[in-house]
Amino acid sequence: MRWYRHVFETMGTMVSIEFAVDGIPERVLDAVHTVFDHFDSTYSLYKPHSELSRIAAGTIAMVDASEEVRDTYATALAWRAATSGGFSPHRPDGVIDLSGVVKALAMQDAAEALREAGALNWCLNVGGDILVSGCDRDSEPWSIGIVDPDQRDALLCSAPLRGSRRACATSGSAERGDHIWTVGADPSSFRQATVIADDIVTADVLATAIIAGGPSALDQICATWDVDVMTVDREGDLRMTPGFTTKVQASA
Amino acid sequence: MRIRAVLGSVLGSVTVLVIGWQAGAAAAHNSAETATAGSTSTSPSPSSSSSASPSGNATGSFTGSTVETRFGPMQVEVVVSDGKITDVKTLQETDQGGRSQQISNYAVPILRKEVLAAQSAKVSSVGGATYTSDGYLSSLQSALDKAGL
Repeated sequence: MRWYRHVFETMGTMVSIEFAVDGIPERVLDAVHTVFDHFDSTYSLYKPHSELSRIAAGTIAMVDASEEVRDTYATALAWRAATSGGFSPHRPDGVIDLSGVVKALAMQDAAEALREAGALNWCLNVGGDILVSGCDRDSEPWSIGIVDPDQRDALLCSAPLRGSRRACATSGSAERGDHIWTVGADPSSFRQATVIADDIVTADVLATAIIAGGPSALDQICATWDVDVMTVDREGDLRMTPGFTTKVQASA
Repeated sequence: MRIRAVLGSVLGSVTVLVIGWQAGAAAAHNSAETATAGSTSTSPSPSSSSSASPSGNATGSFTGSTVETRFGPMQVEVVVSDGKITDVKTLQETDQGGRSQQISNYAVPILRKEVLAAQSAKVSSVGGATYTSDGYLSSLQSALDKAGL
C-alpha cells in the first residue's frame, strides 16, 4: 500500500494529512482543501469580508446570517451551556468568535470528504488537533505524541488512537503565569489540557473548557463525559484519567 | 490510579488516608458532600497479604470497608511497602450506569517518569496547543512531515 503525506496552510495554521493512496482519487485533496478554504473564508475574523467579520462589524445581524453560520453559532451556544460557560463563543468585547468550534467542524467535514472518496486509513492533524481513521502504514493503530508545553521539542507521552477513540485535541494557556481566563480562574490553572474522545468537536471544546475552568471544570468534565484527559499544571505536574493512563502504558 | 506522587508519606493512620482518598476521589474540589459519605467508613482491616499492623514500617495491602457514597458503594485498597504507600486502588467500581461508574474516571496525579518510556514509542502525529503557521516550522509535527515517515 502506498502512503502520501500532504501539508498546507489554512486558518492561520497548518494541516498535515497522511493517507493510504491506493484506489483513492487524487482530487480528494482538492475536496479537503475546499472544506478548509470554505470555513476560513466564512468564519475568519482576520478576513474583513468574511461573514463573521461582517457580523462583528455590525454590517449583518446574526438573524440575517446564512443558515450555516446560524447553525454553527447554535452549536457553539449549546457547548457553552453544556460546559457551564467554560467554553464560550463570546469574546469579552462582545464579538462573536466561533473559532473555538470552527476548526473542529472543518476537520469533521474533511473526514467526511475523505470517507466519500473511499479513504479508510488516514491521519489528519490541524494545528496540533488530530483526527484519525483506520490504521497506520504498519497496519497498527495510529500512535500520537503529546508535546511538553515546557519543552516544545519533547513529548510528554504517546498514546494509540483506536476503536471509537478517534480524536485528540489539546488546548493551552498562552504563557506561564498568564491569568486571562474568566471562569474559575485560580493559581493552579492548567497550562495544557489534552482530551481524547470519539469526535473532534467534543475533544476540542472540552480541552478549551478545562483550560478556562481549571480543576473544578476538570472534575466535572471527567465525571460527565466519556473522554480520556491529561492535564499539565503550572508546576509541570501531570494528571491523567485511568483511560488516558492505560493508553499511555499500552504505548510504552 | 497511582497517586504515590502525593501520598508518599509514612502511614500514620490508614483510616484517615482511606477516608481522605475517598473524599478526594469522589470530588477533589467539591468535598462537602463526600466528607459525609466518608465519615461512615469503619476501620480498615488488613487483607491476608499484609504482614504487619498499619503502623511503623508496615508492608502489605490494606482494604477499607465498603461505604455507600452518592456515587454508589466504594472501597479502596492501599498498598504499603516499608511504611510508605506505593499504590491506592479503587475497588468495587460499580457498573450500573450513571455517575457510579464514572467515579473511576477522575484525573489523578501521575509522575512524569511513569510515562517517559513512551518517548521511544513510534509516533505518527504530534498533538499540542494550536500553533501558528510560523510556529509549525519549529514544531515536532513539522519534523515528522519533513521526514515523510
